[in-house]
Amino acid sequence: MSTGLHGRARSVAVVGLDAVPVAIEAHVGGGLPGMTVIGSSGPAAREAVHRVRTALSAAGLLPGARKVLLSLAPADVPKAGARFDLGMALAVLAAVGTFPETAIEETAAIGELALDAAVRTVPGVLPAVASLPASGVRRVLLADGNAAEASLVEGLAVVPVSDLAEAVAVVCGERAARPVPELPPKAAGWGAPDLADVRGQAEARRALEIAAAGGHHVLLVGPPGCGKSMLARRLPGILAPLSHAQAMELATIRSVAGRFAGRSGCALDTVPPFQSPHHGVSAPALLGGGSGVALPGQVSLAHRGVLFLDELFEWSRAVLEGLREPLEEGVVRIARSKATVTYPARFQLVCAANPCPCGGGDACACADEAIWGYRAKLSGPLADRLDLAPTLVPLTADDLLAAHDGEPSAAVATRVAAARAAATHRWGQGALNADMPAARVRAVTRPAALRFLAGAVERGELTGRGYDRVLRVARTCADLEGADVVTREHVLEAHAHRLALRAAGRTPVGGRA
Amino acid sequence: MPEWARRLSAGADPALVARVVRLAAAEWVHPERVRRALAARLDAGRSTAAAPLIEALEVCGAGPLPSAAAAERLACRLLRLGTKIAVVGEPGYPARLSTAWPELGAPLWLFVRSADGRVPHGTAAVAVVGTRHPTLEGLRTARDLGRLLAGRGVVVVSGMARGIDQAAHTGALDADGATVGVLGTGLDVAYPAGHAGLRDAVAASGGLVSEYPPGTPPRPPNFLWRNRIVAGLADATVVVEGRARSGALQTARVAAAQGREVLAVPGSLYQPASRAPLDLIRDGARALTRLDDVFEVLGALPPPAPPRGTQTPFPGVDGVAGEVLRLLGAAPATPDRLAAASGHAVGAVLAALADLTARGLAATTPRGVVAVGVPPEGAGDG
Repeated sequence: MSTGLHGRARSVAVVGLDAVPVAIEAHVGGGLPGMTVIGSSGPAAREAVHRVRTALSAAGLLPGARKVLLSLAPADVPKAGARFDLGMALAVLAAVGTFPETAIEETAAIGELALDAAVRTVPGVLPAVASLPASGVRRVLLADGNAAEASLVEGLAVVPVSDLAEAVAVVCGERAARPVPELPPKAAGWGAPDLADVRGQAEARRALEIAAAGGHHVLLVGPPGCGKSMLARRLPGILAPLSHAQAMELATIRSVAGRFAGRSGCALDTVPPFQSPHHGVSAPALLGGGSGVALPGQVSLAHRGVLFLDELFEWSRAVLEGLREPLEEGVVRIARSKATVTYPARFQLVCAANPCPCGGGDACACADEAIWGYRAKLSGPLADRLDLAPTLVPLTADDLLAAHDGEPSAAVATRVAAARAAATHRWGQGALNADMPAARVRAVTRPAALRFLAGAVERGELTGRGYDRVLRVARTCADLEGADVVTREHVLEAHAHRLALRAAGRTPVGGRA
Repeated sequence: MPEWARRLSAGADPALVARVVRLAAAEWVHPERVRRALAARLDAGRSTAAAPLIEALEVCGAGPLPSAAAAERLACRLLRLGTKIAVVGEPGYPARLSTAWPELGAPLWLFVRSADGRVPHGTAAVAVVGTRHPTLEGLRTARDLGRLLAGRGVVVVSGMARGIDQAAHTGALDADGATVGVLGTGLDVAYPAGHAGLRDAVAASGGLVSEYPPGTPPRPPNFLWRNRIVAGLADATVVVEGRARSGALQTARVAAAQGREVLAVPGSLYQPASRAPLDLIRDGARALTRLDDVFEVLGALPPPAPPRGTQTPFPGVDGVAGEVLRLLGAAPATPDRLAAASGHAVGAVLAALADLTARGLAATTPRGVVAVGVPPEGAGDG
């Protein structure tokens, strides 16, 4: 009668952004030698057997061959990847008595094992570790490279271990836990680039300011080389820095996407993200996807920040269609074979396009009708959501030689912050003008302003939906001025910002209707 | 003689009117056939007065003569449209047009929709014609010309087509003047689509005329004949813009054949829309180098009406909008440049541009904003 030996360890699985505690049980008993894992799935999981067994023998911790059965529970949670290796090895060692079970009762282990028993980093550590204090875990063992993101979580001890031997030594109490490697301080000058670098382009700067203050989406129109992407990159610099909660949310998304290091690899990044996918990118890369459990896409990596779509007319319509859900609801829901995950994707959109089929610029000889026809190609979820369409002009020699730089981001950011504060005060926490129902905006608008808009609808310059959108932009213009009520001036400016979007513009003479 | 014949006449002999209506009700009768009959009579040296020509058509046997009932149906339709019929040689037929009878394209009969059933007579008239695809400059010129002429009491004649024609009509209406539109379709056909308001306004001012019966659809040949009537109703024809081999060229050539003056607006050598006027100038037409030049080909005109009193040409346009308007011209300007030039914040400039556009004083082109309706220099008090 051999009852076998039993051991337990704890780890965490990550599905989307959610963490699920996983209990690893090891049973060592009689029978033909071999190791089997149940309750896990996917190729990396299937290969776990080899990694764990090889690592154990490389570390000299498991003499002899045994029959080992490992179970990962709960079985119905998808457990992809190799993050359970370390936990599995510890469970086996607990089963054979290397250390008492109580030693790792309140310890979790997350890490992949190399064949030489080194511990390797895995993605998604931040949400995993963030879930641990709630389930009673006091200590987590993980790879050196994951320690930085794990240390963002409070309430438990983060113990970096470089290999299995060190892990065992720490668990047995023979070695003290190493402190988490010092995070490098934020590099000086790190952050979004400054608007002062941009010369001229007054209309585009104004449009960016309005976009930032109200959460509106922008289309930058101009020939190649006039500074569209330069301006787009500077939008995060005038948005407010992320709050702690927002920064943690963004860090979680980056962690799950395997990009925690981000651009700084340092303390929590509070600069709003900027993502600039190429127009040939696939839909799963943009929106999120992949087989098994979906990974976050560019739209989620731009959550709370800016998504920049350059060369808007080169994008495939099918891919742009996929933006409908994030633009309307602020999330992306992806269903895959193993699980349906929801990733947040609330971003500000900046698009860039050439003004006309030939690319624009001084040599452009396109007829006016051809240009309006080209712009009419804009369709799908973006057509109605772009509220500001400034035109950028190539700089002249005078502009480039001008003595002064443009206004710096800090000054603009102050105005933006004041306007946002006014909106928050009026609508409530976190609400931006771009999201407010039109009826509520109408309530604080002067009748003269509403009459102008009605006139524009009658003249065919505006649709009903456009009416609502202009109203919201006008509300933002008023906020930037510190005005409580939206006046005709504000509405005029808001309307003017969309003039470049008018498809097949009416000629000024052509009939007196 | 039917009662309706009297009501459809604006001075012509009702008996002739009745016969004309009966002929017009026949589907084998159309202006082309009338012209062939006319040409035959000319060749044979026969009389080309209206009555014998009508008789020749009635007996030519190309088809059955419509019944009295069919004629009455057409008459009712015409009465409902408020039209009258003018017959060549009879009172009520436009005097200038009759000089183009019989060889230079004047119609045997004309359907007229206007306040009194006739087109304005006794005053000078100028035709302003051009392409359906003009540039903004051309539209501006046509509209300004229409406004200037109408302001001096000159009747503006054109073809109601999209583009230059409609701009000229609109300019004349702006100045509360008289303008006549000649259609290449029946008077009840809505072509071009969507301009019923303009048609009604033109009918109320100078009148709408057509030689085609109600219901005639737009067919390209109709417009060539219509052009001859446009030229024939006027003392001079101004071609504002047109591409090579365009209808405007034809109108100009017919006007010259009819002994009228032809003027053309010289445009850029590189602008396809200026090709027709430039070719006309090369062939001897007069160049319109200032809007006022058009008056040189007309006789003495009554003195211009006194100005309407305000100092600025644009009452109510002041402040930033006024400054921006003064900076706008025919070349597209971007808000950036306007802000830099005026010294105002770009937000205020944008608001001003929206305001000016709404008032019709500025227009958005893909390259920037242009001024519309700003009187160029040399436009007198208009």
